[in-house]
Amino acid sequence: MPGNGTPAEGNNAQKHWNLLASKSRRNRRVKDASLFAFLIAASIPIIIPYFWLLTLAFSAGREGVDTRVLWPSIFILVPAVVLTWVWATIADTRRRAMTGWGVIWAVAIAVYAIFLGPELHLYNFRFLLNPDFNAAYTDIVAAKDNPGFSVTSFPSVWTAFWNSLFIAGVSTVIVIFAASLAGYYISRFQYRFRETSLAAMLVLHAFPTTVLLIPIFLVIWKIGLLDTLFGIVLVIVGIELPFAVFIMKGFFDAVPWEIEMSALTDGATRRQAFYKVVLPQVTNGMIAVSVFVFIRGWEEFIFVLTLLATNAKWTMSLYTFFVTEETNLGIDYGVVSAVAVFYIMPSFLLYTIAQKYLLQMSVGGIKG
Amino acid sequence: MATIEFRGINKKFGDETIIPEMNLKIDDGEFVALLGPSGCGKSTTLFMLAGIYLPTDGELLFDGARVNEVEARDRNVGIVFQSYALYPHMTVAKNIAFPLRFKKTPEAEINRRVKEAAELVRVGELLERRPEQLSGGQQQRVALARALVKDPALLLLDEPLSNLDATLRLAMRTEIKALQERLKVTTVLVTHDQIEATTMADRIVCMHAGKIEQIGTPDDLYKRPATRFVAEFVGSPPINTFQGAAADGVVELGGARLAISGGANGPVYVGLRPEHLFFADGGIPAKIVQHEPMGREILYVCDTPLGMVRILEAAATASQSIGSETHFGFDSAHSLVFESASENLIGNARVSAIESGS
Ligand SMILES: Nc1ncnc2c1ncn2[C@@H]1O[C@H](COP(=O)(O)OP(=O)(O)OP(=O)(O)O)[C@@H](O)[C@H]1O
Ligand SMILES: [Mg+2]
Repeated sequence: MPGNGTPAEGNNAQKHWNLLASKSRRNRRVKDASLFAFLIAASIPIIIPYFWLLTLAFSAGREGVDTRVLWPSIFILVPAVVLTWVWATIADTRRRAMTGWGVIWAVAIAVYAIFLGPELHLYNFRFLLNPDFNAAYTDIVAAKDNPGFSVTSFPSVWTAFWNSLFIAGVSTVIVIFAASLAGYYISRFQYRFRETSLAAMLVLHAFPTTVLLIPIFLVIWKIGLLDTLFGIVLVIVGIELPFAVFIMKGFFDAVPWEIEMSALTDGATRRQAFYKVVLPQVTNGMIAVSVFVFIRGWEEFIFVLTLLATNAKWTMSLYTFFVTEETNLGIDYGVVSAVAVFYIMPSFLLYTIAQKYLLQMSVGGIKG
Repeated sequence: MATIEFRGINKKFGDETIIPEMNLKIDDGEFVALLGPSGCGKSTTLFMLAGIYLPTDGELLFDGARVNEVEARDRNVGIVFQSYALYPHMTVAKNIAFPLRFKKTPEAEINRRVKEAAELVRVGELLERRPEQLSGGQQQRVALARALVKDPALLLLDEPLSNLDATLRLAMRTEIKALQERLKVTTVLVTHDQIEATTMADRIVCMHAGKIEQIGTPDDLYKRPATRFVAEFVGSPPINTFQGAAADGVVELGGARLAISGGANGPVYVGLRPEHLFFADGGIPAKIVQHEPMGREILYVCDTPLGMVRILEAAATASQSIGSETHFGFDSAHSLVFESASENLIGNARVSAIESGS
């Protein structure tokens, strides 16, 4: 019996407990490690291409695509990652784990720098500074193959960047504003056809939007918004709004009536109660919806391709597309990869930063 | 401070009538409890007082003036919700200050009054916390402070104690009562707990399915319940009621015959409270089937010719054990008789044991 035996027995009992505790710690680590290993294995088919893109962006030259850097990189990184896990299961204190990881990664980076350092360069990112980054080369190629042909002239990538930012940003602001008000109304008020309209909204979201390509083109043309950024904004808002409303309604449903009633008796008007008491409870939902709409606008391709014409209106998606198209004429894959990396970066950052809120979306959005 | 009057108030949600017609007067500074089972319309009544629900019909008067259409924010009513409804994104101090933000109160005065209100309910040290960092009892006090900070003319409490544990509930009961007496604010408490109502309120309004069954002091409700519903709802453990038919001064209850006075005739309910029954050598036979120690007293459930009967006996003199066969008598002066159809009390009817030989 621990506690009431001789000191020796007490010691033994303590050892026994320590043993059990370390066993459970070990179990937990093994479990964590295997879970991560599984997740990584499952995502390798996606990660490898992205990783390849990344290595190309920082290493490829005009010679074309190769895996010269990819495989050595994997050869160095994978063992480093594996060692990190293994060490996580072995190390018995947090401090030792940290030290071990430090050593592993210092070595990995050093090896990488020695073997692959000379291969890496930023030359592919020259498009960021010089809109005419390939002019000399493409002109030669084009002139050789079909005389008199003039290559698409590229706008500065920053024009495309700001256009995309404008489309994504303005769509987000409009959607979040409208969806908050509409979601609140639907959540709080009883009106005729409430259930039906909710169901209809979901069905709208279920249709592939590409089927609307021609009707939308005609509408946008008729109202004179063809080849304008705002036309694209309207389309994205129209497509994203129903689902956004639905998600926001879910978040508002989770806000108890009573805090609103309380605000009313405390002297607030209905509008003040909404802004001061209800809205702060759904900020997570607003952030989540904003991120999704923003990324949707950032990624939009098919409608910008259809509705925008002049290259001063290009978005990042069009820019990337045309850079790729140009490869027919012999453009190098290094630049294509670099543009892709540049294009992906904002989405990636946004997802990473807002991850916490995105995960809550399912919580807020389930109830009908 | 205000007097309140409901004049023929009716409330419907859609086609469903929740409150058919309510007439009620509440005096200035009075502490009234709305007592009734779940779903009987207590919260609805309270929300009409607060101005959150609009009465469908009738007149609601504050100090004699019609307020039906007056907005909630203009009524100067403080309310504590069952869930407390603290604003989750604000600190305690901001929660308490919230009602003052709409009145153009100078910042210095807001601070002073928030401190005052917080001290009043003893949450002075918690001002910088957020609601989620408070215990249930502390949240309840903060909600009370927020309701009181604007010096309301009317204080409404919707089941304020139902989320607290037994000890805390007892403490808060006393505290709220003392606070109300000190501030002399007209108060309406909603509760389904009769003990809460009887211990705190000056007067109790007993409600059932949207109707007022009885308005009276706690003593009235216990001793002279106007209807069978009130008799069964008030009193713990609950009263025994028996159905029977009275004729010629005799009532038949199950297998027993009792004398009945007060001109009761036809089908009746007879009510006998467990605390007014006692074991005796003679009387109605009873077999003990269950006993529940309740501290100072023991509650016996007995099989008798009248059906199952609850009898309360002081623990100190407890004499019965399960299975024993005995007899019981009752205190005739405390017996209650209700007319069967209307379920109304027949004021001076009493039942008593039939004298042997008659
Ligand atoms: N907004 C509403 N719409 C429709 N019906 C309602 C609404 N609010 C309440 N009711 C109905 O009115 C009746 C009374 O509700 P109320 O909330 O007043 O009961 P209560 O006495 O406070 O009950 P509890 O003790 O459970 O809180 C219930 O049958 C309820 O379903
Ligand atoms: Mg209620």
